[in-house]
Amino acid sequence: MPPALAAHPMTPSPMDPSRASAPAAPLESDAPLTVEVRGLTKSFLEEGRGEVRAVDGIDFTCRAGEVFGLLGANGAGKTTTLRMLSTVLRPTAGTARVLGHDAETDGEAVRRSLGFHSASTALYPRLTAGETLDFFARVNRLDPSKVKPRVDALIERFGIGEYADARVEKLSSGMKQKVAIARTLAHDPPVLIFDEPTVGLDVLNAIALLEVVEELRAEGRTVIYSSHIMSEAERLCDRIAVLHRGRILAMGTLDELRDATGLHYLQDIFVHYVKAAEA
Amino acid sequence: MAFLRDLRVLYLRELRSALRERSIVVNGILIPIFLYPFLLWAMFTAMTFVEGQAEGFVSRVVVPDAGPLPALVTALESRSDVRLDDADVAPDSLDARLARGDLDAVVRFESDAGGLLADNPTVRIAYDRAESRSRRAAERIEAVVDSLRARRLMAEATGLGLDTVGLRVFALDTENVATNREAGRLILALMVPLFLTLMVALGCFIPAVDTTAGERERSTWETLWTTGVSRGSVVLAKYLLVATMGVVAGMLNVLAISVALGCIIAPLAGDRAADLALGLPLQAVPVMLAVSVLLALLFAALMMVLAAFARTFKEGQAMVTPAYYLALAPLLLSGSPDRGLTPALSLVPVANVTLGLKDAILGRGDTGLLLTAFAVNAALVVVCLALARSLVVREEVVTGAFEGSFWSWLRSRRRTSPSTPNP
Repeated sequence: MPPALAAHPMTPSPMDPSRASAPAAPLESDAPLTVEVRGLTKSFLEEGRGEVRAVDGIDFTCRAGEVFGLLGANGAGKTTTLRMLSTVLRPTAGTARVLGHDAETDGEAVRRSLGFHSASTALYPRLTAGETLDFFARVNRLDPSKVKPRVDALIERFGIGEYADARVEKLSSGMKQKVAIARTLAHDPPVLIFDEPTVGLDVLNAIALLEVVEELRAEGRTVIYSSHIMSEAERLCDRIAVLHRGRILAMGTLDELRDATGLHYLQDIFVHYVKAAEA
Repeated sequence: MAFLRDLRVLYLRELRSALRERSIVVNGILIPIFLYPFLLWAMFTAMTFVEGQAEGFVSRVVVPDAGPLPALVTALESRSDVRLDDADVAPDSLDARLARGDLDAVVRFESDAGGLLADNPTVRIAYDRAESRSRRAAERIEAVVDSLRARRLMAEATGLGLDTVGLRVFALDTENVATNREAGRLILALMVPLFLTLMVALGCFIPAVDTTAGERERSTWETLWTTGVSRGSVVLAKYLLVATMGVVAGMLNVLAISVALGCIIAPLAGDRAADLALGLPLQAVPVMLAVSVLLALLFAALMMVLAAFARTFKEGQAMVTPAYYLALAPLLLSGSPDRGLTPALSLVPVANVTLGLKDAILGRGDTGLLLTAFAVNAALVVVCLALARSLVVREEVVTGAFEGSFWSWLRSRRRTSPSTPNP
């Protein structure tokens, strides 16, 4: 297998069409491909600033049983990328496919294949924890006969039985966090997106969440994990893409990034790429 | 089938959340049941109380110069509900006392120089119409003057040798040809369309804001947007929930008013309500149902469109409130008891169906005009719904990029935006 690190040009023109067709980084694994992103671009019109490219022609792929990290500072384009992948936003250019379903033309199938968890995907405060899991299982079209066993299994797995009948608005942050992760898994999706999931969590809850992500990988699911916290990415991610100003500056395993930069810590590696891009 | 199953799951979730929200339960269920019956009872009790108070007043009257008609002073003095006050003050001062409320009425006389009868002055009563006790004093004085006038006429007739028994001129006898049922229906025809419209709009109000702006404020919009159902089913479920709450509020209110009229007002009114039969005619019930559904569909679409721009629940309330009043403005056209549905009015949304309902309760009206009215409102519903759908499914609505501003949305429509609807 060729080296997995794909070093992207540092200073291409934003309008450079060749960027959209840049090849994705090849993977070392033979596991099936689950996510495929090609030349994904998103522009917004902002008053006073004109057209702003939040995501600028990025490419990546993910395989089953892999945790793929999107590492970037605030405003790098992580959330916009994940929103396009989950069909909340429509790409300005490029394609995103999940389990072969095109995000633009087959949005419902894409969303049924995904579990999306972020700070902006809150829970319904007036539903109980149990009702929440039941609703998200059904609304994502899990076979009705499997809904109750699935909900019971999630309640058991995340230890939320004690407050399964309590309204979400009455739960503590930690309890809500567990319910939120459980609802992401309610329909048993093969691909999961975690967008800065530990923001606002205390240390213990953050560690518990990281453990869940590791379990999900062990189950053979694909996890796309976006963060700006280096230690999380170091611990969890099989491959990491460094995202800056809407572009992927580098992508590979941690060891490959270390080899390419001669630096050990991910934080130093990240700063290295960002400074080079800004230079 | 899958679409309907999705719709059912989404709708039941919306309904469950709505019924657990205090403001929705208060506005959509409790107020329709209790507010207007309570208001009716309170108004009637207050009117009865004020009336009773006015009856019990002793009217303070001044007659500065009793000379032209001393019999009037004598008659007033004989009444226990009238007290003649001292007149030993300047006339200007009497008017000032009347204005201040220290007096209830002042009686003055003007001589009738050209009249045929002697000692026949014009009685001029000064009173304050804005004060109920002053009005009551004027009525009492008028009653005394009427009595004196009748006695004087009898005396004059007797003097002329006429038989007083046969002196009745222009005898007046009235006959009410309206049946008890018709009289009762007139009251219902005035009340039911008004309260039904008000309550349907109120019932839609909070759910419309809650399912759009409230959803965004709670950050649950995006949660819902990442589920595996179509955008259309999400919007339709919300819309049906809002319309349901409107219909429920309207129906509960009509039911509560019917019960209140029969159980609260009728006993309070006693004899005055004895000749009324307060019951909705059967043929008006389907019209009422259709009207409430149509109004709910219309108000729900209109309010959801406006609330979709808001980022917070409070912003949503501020945006929908003007539409609430605007939607109720056509009710002014249906307020008159005599006005029915006409070809021109059948084209005015809201007013047309309320007039149609009024006609149905009164047992009159034209089916063709009623169908026209329904068609006009249904067309408006379709327009609003198309607008709501095209708006709510836009990604800017999910991300809140309109910044709560209707004008931002308009500007985004004018320029070529790379952000397109996301089906």
